[in-house]
Amino acid sequence: MKKNSKEEIKEALKKWEDEILNPRVKKFNLDKSPTSFYTPLSWDNSHFLEKVGFPGQFPFTAGNNPFDFWRAYANFAAKAGFRSDWGGSGKSGKYGGFGTPADYRDYLFKMQSMGRYGGPNIAFDLATQCGYDSDSSFAEGEVGRVGVAVDSMQDFAVIYEAYTGNLEIDKVPSNFTINAPAAVIIAMYACLAKKRGIPLNKLEGTPQNDILKEFIARGTYIYPPAPSLRLFRDTCVFCCKNMPALNINSIGGYHIREAGATRVQDLAFSMANGIAYIEAGLEGGLEVDEFVPAFTFNAFGGSMEIYQEIAFQRAARRVWAHILRDRFHAKNPKSMQIRQPITAHIGCSSATLQRPLNNLARAVVGGIAAGMSGGIAGAFPPFDEPLGLGHSQEATQLQQDASRILIYEAKVTDICDPWAGSYFMESLTDEIEKDALAELEKIEKMGGAVAAIENGYMPRAVAKSAYDRQKKIENQEELVVGVNCFTGEHEIDVSINRVVEATYDPELMKTAEERQKANLARLKRERNGTAVVSSLRSLKVQAEDKDKNLMPAICECVENDATLQEICDVLREVFGEAQPMKL
Amino acid sequence: MGQDSKIRVLVAKPGLDGHERGAHVVAYGLRDEGFEVIYTGLRQTPEQIVSAAVQEDVDVIGLSILSGAHLSLTKKIMEGLKAKGANDVLVTVGGVIPEEDKKTLEEMGVAGVFTSGSKIKDIAALIRTKLGKNA
Repeated sequence: MKKNSKEEIKEALKKWEDEILNPRVKKFNLDKSPTSFYTPLSWDNSHFLEKVGFPGQFPFTAGNNPFDFWRAYANFAAKAGFRSDWGGSGKSGKYGGFGTPADYRDYLFKMQSMGRYGGPNIAFDLATQCGYDSDSSFAEGEVGRVGVAVDSMQDFAVIYEAYTGNLEIDKVPSNFTINAPAAVIIAMYACLAKKRGIPLNKLEGTPQNDILKEFIARGTYIYPPAPSLRLFRDTCVFCCKNMPALNINSIGGYHIREAGATRVQDLAFSMANGIAYIEAGLEGGLEVDEFVPAFTFNAFGGSMEIYQEIAFQRAARRVWAHILRDRFHAKNPKSMQIRQPITAHIGCSSATLQRPLNNLARAVVGGIAAGMSGGIAGAFPPFDEPLGLGHSQEATQLQQDASRILIYEAKVTDICDPWAGSYFMESLTDEIEKDALAELEKIEKMGGAVAAIENGYMPRAVAKSAYDRQKKIENQEELVVGVNCFTGEHEIDVSINRVVEATYDPELMKTAEERQKANLARLKRERNGTAVVSSLRSLKVQAEDKDKNLMPAICECVENDATLQEICDVLREVFGEAQPMKL
Repeated sequence: MGQDSKIRVLVAKPGLDGHERGAHVVAYGLRDEGFEVIYTGLRQTPEQIVSAAVQEDVDVIGLSILSGAHLSLTKKIMEGLKAKGANDVLVTVGGVIPEEDKKTLEEMGVAGVFTSGSKIKDIAALIRTKLGKNA
């Protein structure tokens, strides 16, 4: 057979449009075709190596690796009945936390008795995340609610009573979903290791430590962006020098998209934030390949649009790789990789309150997209995500099984980057990359991420996109099953049983605030007040000199049982407080 | 109401919850519906919200709460309004509100509870009906 020339294809395409496609569009009285078809004219494969390459090689479009750790042992894990929260074999436990530190510790013991040995993956309550103690008026009604309350080193140590022996902190990793006070929590982790006689270089885990996205989405900031970034710099240098096995941060596009950002904004804003963090580390005197390999990403955002989300992941890997190699002259491939626990997913905001079991079907779509874009085929979130805070054990079981079915029965993850070379997927990947780079350039021209937060550009753009999406749903430009279509009287509301006991004991939740305030009062009575005051004073002096790394001083405060708010208040005094954005 | 008969709405985020998407969407949406909308921004205490409502002489307060603290925060705001003699201010609540809490909120005097999937035009319609105004 003779090779097709481009001209031949072009001609054939024209002929197809005239003879097949357009008559059909006309027959059904449409303005345009509801489907698209891609050809070699849509994507030129003559730069396959530069654009796609092999899995594990620059620019990592096809994946960070031919297969990950979890995939290497997936069959072994299945036969051994190994259970983990993502359907894989990671060592991290399920994200959680509630009540007082003792409540959460007891919950962790209970989970362990059910065979769940994952490391602590701690959700902190909002007071802790915003740098307030449980006895602050700002904390009223919030203590122990969306996470566990941590006011002091003693609280932190109580949680970790669940992690000793085989689950000692040099054996299991810890995750801390906290940003503005991340430095304080990292200091507590270091202090705990010191008390237990464990070398800091044995500590594994990931603090979220991604403060910039808090200004764009999620909202748990304390100080203005610039001093916040200085604190990031200090943690970055401290972790790099002392805790090399600990990841430095977990950069989240996820929250930005959930707050309403488009796919392109999600990618551009996360990259802008990532660049700011790299520059902060360099400013702290580190070499790029010394610390960027310890950066992680907390997934980007997701949506139900399966093709777009797969392309997005591929584009994101390529964009980051180029930024690291071309702009920061990284040599280590690890610096250039987007390391994240999951890749594509639907995003929690795609889950609907209406006919909630449908969210299982939705999550499976996300799991397929994840499996096809280099991740664990995680069917996230559990279907009861929108019903209130906390997933039922049943919903979690179904989520896990769905992921397992995708991996073991559908064999979704047997092929690495199955879309490589697809005319359609490659052109979509190029398009997302191009649009995101244009948006990133806009932010760079403003002066980078910090400037684009200070001038309100990024947060406002996200708010506007959220409203655009809402309008599209209200006028049925976007269709959501059971929400704005198929809501007729003959549709059946499938009843669901969440007969398993509540994940978090509601009785404990009710009394957590009072109990935690009592814990804190006891601490304040019993600690060495002079040591607290003197370590806080020394923190203040250090904070006023922006060249100083604050981590040693924060560690000293933590060791002396200064509270989280006392530490944050000293920094509030020096740095000022961020003002909430008005529309 | 004088010559300015636009319905005035304070969209407010009480407590420490930082999830602003709902508040942003409702603020923009009610503006497009022709209402005068003031958005407080994040982390307002119940006292700040009550005093902003009184100062700005609003007809409606739209609270957005996703942290699970909706019962205690709403209660404080309702009591604060009563204490300031501003009982006529219509209060709606949006966010992650479990079904069983809706009744409790209504018993406190909340005019409407809007959870995920609600339409702006339904919120606007409820406000207009309850206030008996068309602006």
